[in-house]
Amino acid sequence: MQDIIDQLAHAIREAASHKTCLRIRGGGTKDFYGGPLRGESLSTTAYRGVIDYEPTELVVIARAGTPLPELEAVLREKGQMLAFEPPHFGSSATLGGAIAAGLSGPRRAYAGAVRDFMLGVRMVDGKGSDLRFGGRVMKNVAGYDISRLMAGSLGTLGVILEASLKTLPLPAAEFTLRREQTQAEAIALMNEWAGKPLPLSATCHTGGFLYVRLSGAVAAVRAAREKLGGEEVTDGTTFWRELRDQRLDFFTLPEPLWRLSIKSTAAALDLPGEQIIEWGGALRWVRTIADAQTIREAAARCGGHAALFRGGDKTTGVFHPLPPVMMRLHQRLKQAFDPAGILNPGRMYEGL
Amino acid sequence: MNQPVSSRKPFPAELLAALMAKFGDRVSTGAAILEQHGKDESAHPHAPPDAVVFPETTAEVALIVKLCGKHGIPVIAFGAGSSLEGHVLAIYGGVSIDLTRMNKVLAVHAEDQDVTVEAGVTRKQLNQHLRDTGLFFPIDPGADATLGGMAATRASGTNAVRYGTMSENVMGLTVVLADGRIIHTGGRSRKSAAGYDLTRLFVGSEGTLGLITEVTLRLHTLPEAVSAAVCAFPSVDAAVRAVIQTIQLGVPIARCELLDATTIGAVNLYSGLELREAPMLFCEFHGTTASVAEQAETVQTIARELGGMDFEWATKQEDRTRLWQARHDAYLACRRLRPNNRAFSTDVCVPISRLAECIAETYDDIAMASMPVALFGHVGDGNFHLVILLDPDHPEEADLADALNRRVVMRALEMGGTCTGEHGIGIGKIEFMNEEHGDAVSVMAAIKKSLDPGNLLNPGKIIPA
Ligand SMILES: Cc1cc2nc3c(=O)[nH]c(=O)nc-3n(C[C@H](O)[C@H](O)[C@H](O)COP(=O)(O)OP(=O)(O)OC[C@H]3O[C@@H](n4cnc5c(N)ncnc54)[C@H](O)[C@@H]3O)c2cc1C
Repeated sequence: MQDIIDQLAHAIREAASHKTCLRIRGGGTKDFYGGPLRGESLSTTAYRGVIDYEPTELVVIARAGTPLPELEAVLREKGQMLAFEPPHFGSSATLGGAIAAGLSGPRRAYAGAVRDFMLGVRMVDGKGSDLRFGGRVMKNVAGYDISRLMAGSLGTLGVILEASLKTLPLPAAEFTLRREQTQAEAIALMNEWAGKPLPLSATCHTGGFLYVRLSGAVAAVRAAREKLGGEEVTDGTTFWRELRDQRLDFFTLPEPLWRLSIKSTAAALDLPGEQIIEWGGALRWVRTIADAQTIREAAARCGGHAALFRGGDKTTGVFHPLPPVMMRLHQRLKQAFDPAGILNPGRMYEGL
Repeated sequence: MNQPVSSRKPFPAELLAALMAKFGDRVSTGAAILEQHGKDESAHPHAPPDAVVFPETTAEVALIVKLCGKHGIPVIAFGAGSSLEGHVLAIYGGVSIDLTRMNKVLAVHAEDQDVTVEAGVTRKQLNQHLRDTGLFFPIDPGADATLGGMAATRASGTNAVRYGTMSENVMGLTVVLADGRIIHTGGRSRKSAAGYDLTRLFVGSEGTLGLITEVTLRLHTLPEAVSAAVCAFPSVDAAVRAVIQTIQLGVPIARCELLDATTIGAVNLYSGLELREAPMLFCEFHGTTASVAEQAETVQTIARELGGMDFEWATKQEDRTRLWQARHDAYLACRRLRPNNRAFSTDVCVPISRLAECIAETYDDIAMASMPVALFGHVGDGNFHLVILLDPDHPEEADLADALNRRVVMRALEMGGTCTGEHGIGIGKIEFMNEEHGDAVSVMAAIKKSLDPGNLLNPGKIIPA
């Protein structure tokens, strides 16, 4: 396996010396995500496999090219999971890609984001150096928290080689219910419930229904189920997987798909098109033909930001524009990791 | 204790005059104030700053940073001064920026379960403020630290096993950068903001990348039921095994602290408790009434099988408060064990599966030590401390303590752990940075250099020279 690392590091050093761009790629399931793809593809898929898994310790260390389904199967066998429920968008999705994209699934609002489960990374930076940050312990304050900075950095700071992640036990019981509810009612309920000791693990409003997943001890799930009422969704697991991987009908609509991350209590957004609400109200998927500025302003008014997730016109940028002082700070950070600026340039922002 | 080599520039009279003109009596060069800002709770030799300024707004902090920048003079953020690795020592002189007058809770958003505070608000002040909201902020280092300081040190406490550390609970920051510009990271939306997760970069940067002036924190719902218990064990090993089994069973225990017999003796004296002088676990369970009962039952069964005895419950709020205050005071209690001592605290964290072994080997070291050593810690996270009490009249003890610390750290690193689980690097652990991180330190140094090219933000901390 070391030879694969050597090859990756070599390719990076070569690219740095010639100032040619590289685009880091795992399974390619998120090629659609972010800015334009530039440069020669640098694949991580050969560097795969679980390195160390200590179920009793709730820690797994795996190589970046490990397909997510494979990793999750290994965990499931020991009754555990990645609690941030990463979207796959395809069976070839890799762990490295999931971390670099920084996307989390339905459980995120109740269990935490990718970064919250990152205990350490091994990576090759833009100079071709093989580096390790953090490790496998639950708490580590020895210096800057680089492993968490890598989550969501979209491959612009380095090639993730390995990650050590905290795992969690699969809940003993899981139950999905739904109630017919308007958007406004759903937002109010999601927020009201979030402040109660309920074993919520996912919420979603779509097609006039509020879906709720309860996870935890058998007794707690049963009690909550009685409290919340509604009807049982028999194939709950499928519903949440289709939501996570964007296979519900909503995601096949033709309009551009926007992802708005806003404060959970924000009222139903007044934008044309259809919407799905997730994460207790904090995540809004919007299929809309509204222009970018209108959408970004709507997000900003609700204390958040908007990203053009799929389709649409990417020429004005995909992610929420950064104020100049923030952009400069980003460039400085990028400089520290990738001084030649060869790793995934423009995937997050132009000039980065 | 490694004495940092420091070089102080003479403090420019012009800078002092400019600060005086702007801040008047909120600038101090009085000996007592300088002394107070040149030390923390560690045994590192004091290093007072040249001046202390007490800003009241973010804009004032930015102004101080700009003025000092013009003269190439370091600035050191100062919260409660409760850190334990010499974090706030002005080893290159400069201006200490005391943030304790920025002590306003700016906005509680009960429905969104978040709060924005100024950096100088302390954790106790915040929870006092939240008392009628049904919400609380769980992170509780032993000292009543400022939330700015806690963010800057990525602090944790007795609740981390359930609620995480500052890393998981800071949602956004207002930061003054080295050039005096002000940025806002993260925000009130739960997902991190657009771009890099800068919040995570500043959390734990110990004032070396920017000065935090405001912190937005995630709040938690007060549990429906809370129950605390203490339990004595025949050996530290048995107590640690009980913890490991609890964690491995996935019991969502909220607090799980080990105090060894020496520590219990100290705590009894200091806090007026009458606990059996044996290794003890202090535990707390949060949840619904039913789940608390279930958790407690599970842990009690585990404890009994390992010889646990004297299981005592504290369900009343005042009993629990007393118990946890005693736990928080453990460090201070241990310091009373030897008159006029200097105390030295270690802080390793190891994978939970190696914890029993690590602590057992550490006891072999303690057995050989000539000075009093107490052991306690947040064992649910794999993190524990030794408090080593040194007699200042016997300087050779400092070398012995250094050697003991080094052994403990090396053992932790070999086991896949870290030299510091929660206290941070400051100056005290700089010597281990290369050993723990290897080449990765050069990237941290590059980050420091690109964000603070003049090396004026708390210089000499975290990054080895
Ligand atoms: C008895 C006792 C028990 C403790 N127990 C624990 C524990 O259980 N867990 C734990 O994690 N810690 C513990 N600590 C350590 C300590 O409480 C933490 O390090 C604390 O988080 C520091 O906060 P402070 O306000 O005292 O900061 P200070 O000590 O004043 O400063 C700490 C560092 O942060 C920087 N800083 C302070 N404020 C800011 C700011 N606004 N912006 C940028 N940088 C800033 C300083 O420059 C310095 O580098 C304990 C300490 C004591 C004395």
